[in-house]
Amino acid sequence: MTSGHEVILQMQEICKRFDTLQALDHVNFELRAREIHGLLGGNGAGKTTLMNVLYGLYREDSGEIFLKGKKIAVNSPKDAIRYGIGMVHQHFLQIGSFPVVQNIVLGTSVKNRFTLNLDYEAGKIKELCQRFSIEVDPFANVNELPMGTRQKVEILKALYRGVDILILDEPTTNLTPQEVDALFQTLKVMVNEGLSIVFITHKLREVMSVCDRITLLRNGQNVTTIDRRAATEEELVRGMVGETMDVSKSVIFSKGASEQINRSLSERVVLEMEKVHCVSEQGIELLKNITLRVHEGEIFGIAGVAGNGQLELAEVIVGIRPISAGEIKVYGKSSSQMISSDLLREGITYIPEDRLEDGYLPKATVAHNLILGAHRQEPYSKKGFINWRKVYEVSKELIKEYNIKTSGPADTAANLSGGNIQRVMIARAFAHAGDSLLVAHNPTRGLDIPSMDFVYHKLLERKRQGYSTLLLSEDLDELLLLCDRLGVMYRGELVGILNRDQFEKYEIGRMMSGVKRNL
Amino acid sequence: MFWWYREIMKKILSNTFASYFLAVVLAFIASGVFIAAMGYNPLKAYQTILFTSFRTVNGFTQTLLKFIPLTLLAFSFTVPYKTGKFNIGGEGQFLMGAIGATAVGILGANLPTYILLPLVLLGGIVMGGLWGLIPGWLLYQFKISEILTTVLLNFVSFALVNYIATAVWGDPTAGHPTTLPIGDGGHLPMLVGNPPLHSGIIILLLVAVGIYYFTDRSTLGYDIVATGANPRAASVYGINTRVMFVLGLLIAGALAGLGGAIEVAGIQHHLIEGMHSNFKILGIIIGLISGGSSLAVPFVAFFISILEVGASAMQRTLMIPIEVVYIVEALVLLFVLLSDVVRRR
Repeated sequence: MTSGHEVILQMQEICKRFDTLQALDHVNFELRAREIHGLLGGNGAGKTTLMNVLYGLYREDSGEIFLKGKKIAVNSPKDAIRYGIGMVHQHFLQIGSFPVVQNIVLGTSVKNRFTLNLDYEAGKIKELCQRFSIEVDPFANVNELPMGTRQKVEILKALYRGVDILILDEPTTNLTPQEVDALFQTLKVMVNEGLSIVFITHKLREVMSVCDRITLLRNGQNVTTIDRRAATEEELVRGMVGETMDVSKSVIFSKGASEQINRSLSERVVLEMEKVHCVSEQGIELLKNITLRVHEGEIFGIAGVAGNGQLELAEVIVGIRPISAGEIKVYGKSSSQMISSDLLREGITYIPEDRLEDGYLPKATVAHNLILGAHRQEPYSKKGFINWRKVYEVSKELIKEYNIKTSGPADTAANLSGGNIQRVMIARAFAHAGDSLLVAHNPTRGLDIPSMDFVYHKLLERKRQGYSTLLLSEDLDELLLLCDRLGVMYRGELVGILNRDQFEKYEIGRMMSGVKRNL
Repeated sequence: MFWWYREIMKKILSNTFASYFLAVVLAFIASGVFIAAMGYNPLKAYQTILFTSFRTVNGFTQTLLKFIPLTLLAFSFTVPYKTGKFNIGGEGQFLMGAIGATAVGILGANLPTYILLPLVLLGGIVMGGLWGLIPGWLLYQFKISEILTTVLLNFVSFALVNYIATAVWGDPTAGHPTTLPIGDGGHLPMLVGNPPLHSGIIILLLVAVGIYYFTDRSTLGYDIVATGANPRAASVYGINTRVMFVLGLLIAGALAGLGGAIEVAGIQHHLIEGMHSNFKILGIIIGLISGGSSLAVPFVAFFISILEVGASAMQRTLMIPIEVVYIVEALVLLFVLLSDVVRRR
């Protein structure tokens, strides 16, 4: 219906280089008026980089941008907004304690400059809400709003500035399935109202359900641009992963193949949490009455919108954060008195969510990083001394097996890119994962599709060997694919635990927004 | 047009040693400007600074005698530096070591060498270690910045030296605050009689090897490096980082204290007010130029010792003020740190 519209934006032969990495290699992109254009690709494909160039956050090394036929130079987001281009980032740039209207007008000039009475601006926002059928109260405080609404605030920010091209970077991260549906509705309204939308995502299903046209990138290069109606999933999958990956053996693109794995629960319980509470130093309840059991050979998933206590749950299990009440048992032994070094010895391994802050030693070498936590165990050390020869030997193997791009074990860890840092986390965890429990928090964040698939294979292999994993993830698809059972967290509480045969996306979505379910 | 220049720079900067060498050369060139501006011949000055240590046996011995305390002071900076903490109190710990050594040496003046000498050295290590442990404990218990406490404890140690060298064991015949001599049994045996070189150099070499093995080969050293690289991540993976901070400062104090003890037992045989003034913050400068590497410290310390000995000679023979060498040292540090920044770009 929209394919007949004229082209309003063209990016031609855009190149961008970061150090040794060619992030964009002569990329072409074309946006038509009143279309939702999906920008599809795995992590590191260059989708966000391309749009950051358009939004003026990065400067292209070479290439040209044409808006309605006229060549433009975008040097800053300010320029971009002047040209009518707005962008909603994956991580919201909002001041939580401010009301919606203040967040939206921040950085624009307001009518009542000295009294800061924002009724006039609030009125304008209400008009926008009506026009695009978005429901937001302009005077609500941002930090009291659910994720989906906070995202609408971010979209309103752009609309308020009068943009007619809107870029959305992975907008469905952290939304419940219901919120995703609502977002897609909003997008369709916006297009009808005359906007053009660039939708950045790595999720195939999303582009298939909402986009008019799709541009596919891989390794910073164009693969194809096609009409959605002409596209098949097969073709897009192949385009996303390239020739190096055997799609037929993949976990990600398998349709129910993982069902063949034995899903019956073992009798032995590895981790047992009984009415666990955790209160922060400021007196805020971070975990409320958590009771769960992870059995041997099970992948137990934790779903939930980010910031609902997943981090704290992981931290109390691995012994970094003390609990206030309740009991945690590992193989029947109470672990309440144990600290992380004791639990490491019990065979608990941890892939932290915040890899830079909680898991990485940037100033040390790659080899240092690969043995962190296992450095007191044989064969890496003996009688108080590190056997560096052995460490380097193992490190070299891990670098090869996990495809870590680095000059070698002695390389300074700070030289690695985000995806490679994540590979180091993964390699370390799987190389030293004990036979008891792996606590993995967003383990595939920042990985490209073949690497993600590799992690999934590794997780399933652990399961086959009879080892357990607690998988905390923001990616619901990932959880649905891998888990035997799934707990949903909301505001520090476990609102329900589902068995695999009860997995249903919208049901889980309801639970993610706090609707309880009888256990 | 300058492609060749760019290519050469790239080659140099890709090699750590070459880039540091370049930094030193640049520092000398830059300080040459100052020397020339003051009306002296920079080339002559350089010649004296760089070659005095190698021209005579005496010059070389002087260099080695400087080298011993400087290396220990530098280690007392780098060991805590590896845990991410800054020990600015090397001077104070050095003096406390000297006090400890002197006290033992005076109190046990009649003991034979094989008993007294180890006790003198141990006295220095213990007192220095204590002076490092205090900031360590304040950091552990109250999270008070070690930069603050180590600096302030320096002043306490200056006053203590003064007090001990006048009111406790003061030598009334000396014109400067000085204590009575320590017993002969506390003297370090001489390796060479003339020019005098004491056996502290052997102790130093053993300590240097030990420190290298400790920081770069032991699991405890790994814990220390991990703590310095990212304390949060280190603690997530089971390393008690707060203990590492204390351990680093304790070892630092003990090393500097050993330096003070060797200075007393090997050269001065008294506690003298202001005996640290030959070293000042050179330990920190050497530690920073080494980038915290235990392997690099002795080499850098030796280089700085050459400069120091050369500088005194320069003042004697060419009448160029000794401060010129401080300019050179400061510029070396500046250029080395700069080359690190440039390399990272």
